[in-house]
Order: sequence, then structure tokens, then C-alpha cells
Amino acid sequence: MNNPIETENLGKRYGNVKAVEHLSLQVAEGEIYAFLGLNGAGKTTTIRMLLGMIKPTSGYARVLQTRVRIGSREPWKSVGYMVEDPHAYSELTVYENLEVARRLHPGTPPKAVGQMIERLSLGAYASRRAGTLSHGNAQRLGLAKALIHNPKLLILDEPANGLDPAGIVEIRELLLKLTSEQGGTIFMSSHILAEVSRLAGRIGIIHQGKLLQELNTDELERNRKRRLLLRVRDIGSAHRTLIAAGLPAEILQDGTIELKHASSIERPDDINQLLVNSGTPPTRLMVEEEELEEYFLRLVGMDKGLQNE
Amino acid sequence: MNNLPDMIWIELRKAIRSRMPLWTSLGSLFMPLGIAFLIFLAKNPELSRKLGLVSAKANLIAYSATDWASYLLLSAEIISAGGFFFFILAISWVFGREFVDGTLKDMLAVPVQRSSILMAKFIVVAVWSAAMAAIMLIFSLVVGAMIKLPGGSLSVILNGFTDAAITVCLVIAVVMPFALFASLGRGYLLPMAMAVLTLVTANLLMAVGWAEYFPWAVSMLYAQGESSLRPISYWIVLITSLAGMIGTYLWWKYADQNR
Repeated sequence: MNNPIETENLGKRYGNVKAVEHLSLQVAEGEIYAFLGLNGAGKTTTIRMLLGMIKPTSGYARVLQTRVRIGSREPWKSVGYMVEDPHAYSELTVYENLEVARRLHPGTPPKAVGQMIERLSLGAYASRRAGTLSHGNAQRLGLAKALIHNPKLLILDEPANGLDPAGIVEIRELLLKLTSEQGGTIFMSSHILAEVSRLAGRIGIIHQGKLLQELNTDELERNRKRRLLLRVRDIGSAHRTLIAAGLPAEILQDGTIELKHASSIERPDDINQLLVNSGTPPTRLMVEEEELEEYFLRLVGMDKGLQNE
Repeated sequence: MNNLPDMIWIELRKAIRSRMPLWTSLGSLFMPLGIAFLIFLAKNPELSRKLGLVSAKANLIAYSATDWASYLLLSAEIISAGGFFFFILAISWVFGREFVDGTLKDMLAVPVQRSSILMAKFIVVAVWSAAMAAIMLIFSLVVGAMIKLPGGSLSVILNGFTDAAITVCLVIAVVMPFALFASLGRGYLLPMAMAVLTLVTANLLMAVGWAEYFPWAVSMLYAQGESSLRPISYWIVLITSLAGMIGTYLWWKYADQNR
């Protein structure tokens, strides 16, 4: 398999602190892989190890079939990246910063600078010093620097960080276009599940340095908790009817009846019929899916912690 | 060492656009300007008495530069001590700013040899420092001409200029290890602290007579026209310079870069 990214038992330890441990993952060609985790979960440490900026204390990483070694100049010709905040030389203009990025990737034609400015909608800021850019435009500049040499693989650390909703949509479309039209591969980190679920084909969830789960978007949908919520005028009577029918129902504090049983969620029309026949027709009936963020927090074991706060 | 011209272009562009070379060059002019002021006061005792600015030390400095030969020797000493700080300012900025501004990471996973990136930085530091020294020297010559110093033949001025140029080369050489200090300290503070430490140590060793073995004192001894300097002193300077550059390369290549 020619996976653009492969890690085997990758780990990084700082003294007694295990920043990343036993990380084994594969990212397939043409895939958008989202690396999801809370702040401090080990996302950036993993990205820095993938880019040869820090030495792993265990295991190894392969990027574009090359084993990553610290300080090496392989395989970066076809890799674009953005790590943490998008810093630029504040005294140089947007154009000059891109010119610097171009010269750091020998063989990139001079016209690439203009093309990137156009592609990332930076035309109005081309002559402005990078130090005066808003966070959103600085993020665009960071992405333009990562893309300037037309890389096969993009490694992006929180690419939508600081962007406004329009900017997030724009970046999402740009990244989708990159993979669909050019067959590029993207490995991106994020701490917002809702954001990556619309973009990524596969999601790896990291918590406290460990990969908890890998799932594709279909699995994500299946794994999310669902429930049927009912509102009726006579709560007591409706509840008794449901219990008598062998359906475990619970009355919530706001008077809503909650059903978690799979058959209830799959066939809400049957529940409706049952209640209509018993003379307590529902005034509201709704299948609710667990929010992505709730699902994520449940997965990393932080849902109870937040509820208690 | 591929892509060196491109890397030099990048470093020059960053330096010029930051205006740091301009400010450091203007700053470095204060030293020859100060000496010129002292000589001017010494030549106009009436004025200095009125201003209440006379001190024994000022007179000592001023009267030590009574002709072109001694004036150029004094200029070389100024470059050796004062220029040292300005050169360290330049090298600290060129290397340390990548850490302070968070731009280092953009140079690490690129298909350009780390040696090319670093060599370009060292070249720009050397050119920038030499330019500052040239401005100081030319300014000193103009001041010397303006105050009409005696004994100014072409050979005297050329000799003084050559000594000053060699002093500059020695200072630039021993400034190179400060790139490593800027990298280890990930910023400007460590090289500045080390600059003070080396200067204090150099003066201490000069007092006890071991200065010729301390690389950061060799340029001072040379500028003072010290005849005791032996080839080993120059070798120590060269080895220190190379060790600083190689150390910086190894650190940039093999150290974990978390910023």
C-alpha cells in the first residue's frame, strides 16, 4: 500500500509526560483525514513528528514512502504544511512572504505567487505588510504558503482556526477541490468535530496522546446516540401506555417523554399510532441525534465532567 | 549548498525590509561621534569649561588621539569593543527572530539543505557587520579630516585602515558563535547576556595576562597594537568561529523544534 502517511507505534515523551504514545495510523491517497482532539491531546506533537521537526522517542513515521528523519530535506518537495498559528514575516508584504515560500521550494515557478494570491482571495492585501493582516487573512496567507508548490500531501494544523463562517466554507471548498481535482491527500487536525465531519472521509480521535478511535463519516453517524422525544397533553396516561406496551420510557424534567429503545427510534410512526389509539395523541414527536460535540466529549470521557460544572 | 543565492535573497530581503541594518548603522555612528565630540572639547577648553563637561577621563581619551596614527588606533579599539555589541545585535536578530516571531517552522520541512539556509544567514550577518564597520571607519576618517589631525600621510591612513579592517574581521569571526546562543536561547536574551559575560571575562583576562588565549579578547589586543599576539591566538579565533557555526548547524538540524 502506498499510503502517503503511515505511523507505527509513534510516541513522544518529555520526561515523565507522554505527549503521544503508540500511535499507529494510515492515511490513504486522496483521503482527507481529520485528526481530532482537545487542546493538548497531542495533535501538534504528532504533526511536528510527521514533519521531522521533533524526534519520536518510539516508533517511526513514513511520509510519501520516506521514513521521516529529523533535519532531513526529504520528502518535503511534495508536502505542504501549516503548523499551529500561521506566522509570517511581519515586515514583508503578503507578496514577499509568498516569494520567500516559493524560493524555499526550488523549482516552483515565479507565477505561482500570483496564482496563490488569486486562489486564496488575497489580491486586495498583496502589497500589505503581513503584520497588519487580520487573523483570518493571516490564516489564508499560511494556507497559500502551504499550497504554493502544488504539494501532493497537505498537513494542516487547525486550518480553519480564526476564520469567519464565510472563510471556513471557502477553505472547506478549497480543500475538497484539492482532493477531488488533483488527487491530493490532506491530514488535518482540529478540535471541532462538526467542522471536520463535513470535510473529512475519516476521523481519528486522539485523547491524552492516545488514538481512541478511527471512524469514517458513516460510522460516525451510526455511533451517535439517538432518542425519540414526545410531548403529550396527558403525560401520566401516555407514559403508562408506553410502559404497558413494553417500551422503556422516561419522563424528563421539562415534561418531555424520552424513548431510547432502538425500535422506538426506528419506527416513530408506530409510537404515534399507539398513543393515538390510547387517546393521548402526541403534540410533538421528534427523533433527536446526539450533537457531534456531545458525541466527541462522550468519547473522550469529558461529557460527565462538563455536566457537573 | 544548493539554492544559496535564493536563501541569501530571502535573508537580505528580511533584513532590509525590517530596517534593522539602518537603525544599527545609525546607532553605531554614536561611537565615533562621541570620540569626535571629546576631541573637539579637548581642542576647545574654553567651551568645555563653560559646559562643565571636562573630566580627566575624557581628556585622557581625547589626548590619546593627537595624530592620525593614534586616532586610527583609537577607532579600531572602538570598533573592537563597540562594534562587537552592534554585530551581536545583528546576529541575534537574524537568528533569534525566527524563534521569537514563530517563523522557524516554515524553514524546517522544506527541500532546501539546512546548511544553505544557515550559510545565507551567516553571510548576511558578515556583510551587515562589515557594512556597519565600514560606515564607522569612513565616518571616523571624515571626522579626523574635519578636526585637522596632524601626521596624515596616505601610508599612515592606509596602515590604520588595514589594522581596523583586520580588527573587524576578528570581531566578526568571534561573533559567529552567538548564532548558537540565539538558537539555544530561542531569542535575543541569551546572546545579549553572553555578550556581557564575554566582555567582562575578556577584560578580566587582559588584567591577568591570559587574554591572548581568549577568542573574544584577541580583537581587542590586536586593536591596541599588542605585539604579543602569536599565531595560536588567531587559530583560537578561527576555531571558535567555526565551532560556533558548526554547533549552530547541528542544533538546527538535530534539536527538537517545538516553536
